[in-house]
Amino acid sequence: MSRAETGPGSLYHRLTVYVLFLILLLPLAGTLLYSIATSWSASILPSGLTFKWYIALWSDPRFLTAFGQSLLVCVGALLLSVVLILPLLFVVHYHFPRLDALMNILILLPFAVPPVVSSVGLLQLYGSGPMAMVGTPWILIGCYFTVALPFMYRAITNNLQAINLRDLMDAAQLLGANTWQAAFLVVLPNLRKGLMIALLLSFSFLFGEFVFANLLVGTRYETLQVYLNNMRNSSGHFNSALVISYFFFVLVMTWAANRLNKDKA
Amino acid sequence: MSFVSVEHLQKNYASTPVFSDINCRIERGEFVTLLGPSGCGKSTLLRCIAGLTPVNSGKILLDGQDLVPLSPQKRGIGMVFQSYALFPNMTVEQNIAFGLRMQKVNGDDSHKRTAEVLALVELQEFAKRYPHQLSGGQSQRVALARSLVTRPRLLLLDEPLSALDARIRKHLREQIRQIQRELGLTTIFVTHDQEEALTMSDRIFLMNQGRIVQSGDAETLYTAPVDVFAAGFIGNYNLLDAQSASRLLQRPITSRLAIRPEAIELGLNGELDGEVRSHTLLGNVIRYRVQARGVELIVDVLNRSAADLHPNGQRVSLSIDPSALREVA
Repeated sequence: MSRAETGPGSLYHRLTVYVLFLILLLPLAGTLLYSIATSWSASILPSGLTFKWYIALWSDPRFLTAFGQSLLVCVGALLLSVVLILPLLFVVHYHFPRLDALMNILILLPFAVPPVVSSVGLLQLYGSGPMAMVGTPWILIGCYFTVALPFMYRAITNNLQAINLRDLMDAAQLLGANTWQAAFLVVLPNLRKGLMIALLLSFSFLFGEFVFANLLVGTRYETLQVYLNNMRNSSGHFNSALVISYFFFVLVMTWAANRLNKDKA
Repeated sequence: MSFVSVEHLQKNYASTPVFSDINCRIERGEFVTLLGPSGCGKSTLLRCIAGLTPVNSGKILLDGQDLVPLSPQKRGIGMVFQSYALFPNMTVEQNIAFGLRMQKVNGDDSHKRTAEVLALVELQEFAKRYPHQLSGGQSQRVALARSLVTRPRLLLLDEPLSALDARIRKHLREQIRQIQRELGLTTIFVTHDQEEALTMSDRIFLMNQGRIVQSGDAETLYTAPVDVFAAGFIGNYNLLDAQSASRLLQRPITSRLAIRPEAIELGLNGELDGEVRSHTLLGNVIRYRVQARGVELIVDVLNRSAADLHPNGQRVSLSIDPSALREVA
């Protein structure tokens, strides 16, 4: 994009943006450098570069298991929330628009209670009795579902409000579509954008979640963040490699999702 | 037997009635307009006919068949919405073919019929575009084509022109009417714009507060309003109460009086003395406010030449065509 604007104002704006970027990227760049350094203690720059920490990390079966388990729990929770929230949103907005106000309060509850407090409650409820599932991935999936709820609900609601749901449904029905056909052929494809944004946001948040994972399940079903915590006494280079790998993964995911989400035409 | 006949139709929202006893008949091929202020129930009536809103009681007969128990999919009715309601994820072509796809019309036939209606609304070269690449007028023509392709028995238009700018609106108005005549399609058009109603319709149903106040052709509605509401809604009638009317005409009048502004003539030797208070140029018409015998009247005069303009404060005399006086209840 080329803009005719020049002069001190433009320079100031650009400088602000660059400084902001620098502040945000500096810790990450430091971590990256540390993760590929042979050793870096008493000098300004590392003494040598190596990939051995990455090789060690990606050949550690415990890391690979944790990575896979994190992925599984996140995808499970997101699948559950799509299957439950999409129809819920549809019903609320199409049949009971007045419930939207109530829903807006309900979806904030997972954020209103601090994770440490709610995990104590969850331990009490699901620690024993007929629903004993503390220490299994199931409780994490359920718990992550509630965490993802606000992201999913808000993003999809905004999308729904932008597409004029009622008129689209009416038009489709008058053209001979039943409710299911109208929902799948007309409404759902137009929610793709909101849905993708919601999924991405929730995924990046849940993939890095630590408090619930550590308190509810811990090492019995080790996820990525719990693994990172357990490895805190090992080499700092190793941990840096872990953080960068994790960050890179989320970055690639986001990029891929954005590519898929590009507008047709 | 009329093609469409609505009998004793009643609709409540919660416990408040929108309308309680609507009766109307529409002939095959007629273009009928439901005209009224917002909230008068005209759109609700249209949605009831389409089946998008359930009715409480009454009958809607289309070609002798009662529509009330049928779902909207089975009524054979096409509808165009104010918001266009085009499917954003489909191209113009896919939008139009959607109805045929639902009816499982085979590919070749579907393609042919889609091309036909695209030609009818003059949008052949836009077939591959997406709705967000179209202007408002084009979008509404696509919506019209989409509702025509399934060959509906009845076409409903819910304020289709209200979101468009004036020039496009006039053009599309003529195009809709022309297509409707060509296809001989029975059509119900909803609007709050009297000009649209007067220029397009075979017949107008004027609605207010859930009732059909008056029905008739444009001529009748314009020149012979049945009550104060009709006179106030259509045209720019001078509405005088009985007392002012008696003073103006110098004879006892017992009801309210409506006088069309263009039925009063401004001249120099009429029977009524008055004084110009102000004037507004509307283009081809100049609208004067004239005070006569303590009554303020609106008078419309054709704008023939600038030399004829009466300045504010000028003494004029008025003559009122007695046949244009309407006593309204």
